[in-house]
Amino acid sequence: MGRLKRSFQIGDQVSPLVKHLDQEAIDLFEGSAGQTGPSQFTDEDAARETLGTTGTVASGRMSLTFAIEMLRRYFGPEVFNHTGMVDLRFLRPVRPGDTITFSGTVSEISREANGSKITAEIKAENQNGDTTGVGKGSAVVPNAFLPPDE
Amino acid sequence: MPEREDRIELDWDALEVGETFEKFEYLLTQEMIEQYRLGVMDPEASFPTISHKVDVRQYNAKYTDSGSVNARCAFYCYNPPLAGKRLTVTAWIADKYLRRGKNYIVTEAVSVDEDGRLIDRVITHELKQPSEVGKKWGG
Repeated sequence: MGRLKRSFQIGDQVSPLVKHLDQEAIDLFEGSAGQTGPSQFTDEDAARETLGTTGTVASGRMSLTFAIEMLRRYFGPEVFNHTGMVDLRFLRPVRPGDTITFSGTVSEISREANGSKITAEIKAENQNGDTTGVGKGSAVVPNAFLPPDE
Repeated sequence: MPEREDRIELDWDALEVGETFEKFEYLLTQEMIEQYRLGVMDPEASFPTISHKVDVRQYNAKYTDSGSVNARCAFYCYNPPLAGKRLTVTAWIADKYLRRGKNYIVTEAVSVDEDGRLIDRVITHELKQPSEVGKKWGG
C-alpha cells in the first residue's frame, strides 16, 4: 500500500486542538514524573508563596505538550515524532478550569537535504480570548511523503 | 546528586554559562507513560519525558533559589522513549540574561536511552523572580 502524499502551502491552517485543564490533569502530569511533593502546580499554599497567586497554575510544559500533540496530528507521528520541534513562549498563566485552544498556520517552507521543513506559527488562547502562549513548531517532511513537485 | 540540604544558594552573577551537571539516569516505566497520557488527555502522547523536567532537575538538585517560572520552552523530538528503558540525561546551563530588570536562566538537556537512541532535547528559559506572576496577573 502506498504512502499518503500531501502538499503543504504557506497559509495552511493546522487543525486546532482544544484542551480543558482541571486540577486532576495537572496532578497526573506532575505525578507521572514522581513529583509528589507540594508545588505551585499542585498546592494552593505553594502557589501563593512562590507565585503570589491565589490558586495553582499549570506547568508551561503542559501547554508545550498540547502544541506538540497538535502538530503530531497534523504531520503524523511517523514524521513529527522523529523530526518535530516546538518552541513556545508562555504569556499568561493557565489555571485549572481553563479551556485552551491551540491553533497554527503554516508560515514557512524550506528545502532540506531529505525533504521539506514545514514551519507553523502557533498560538494558544484561553476561553476569554486571551493569548496564553505563542511560538513556532516545525517538522521535516521526507520527500517520500510529498508530491513529486515539492 | 547532592542532598537537598547541601544545595548552594544561587548567585546569578556567578553562575557560569556552560556549567554541565552530573548526569542523571532514570527508568521510564509503563506506569509513568500511562499516567502522563491521562494527564495530557492524549492516549498517543509519545514523549512522557516532558513531565520529568530533566533540564532543570540537576540544577534544582545543586542550587536553591526563590523558585522559578517557565517563560519559554523548546522541545525537539528524535525518537519516542520506550517503557522499561533507562534514560541518561545530560543537562547544562545554556545561557543567562537580564530582561526588563529580571533574571533568566536557560537550561538545556539531551536524553539518550540505554541502547544509545537519541530521545529528545529540551531548552527552557526560567524567570527567577516567580512572584512576578502574581504581581502581573493577580490572584
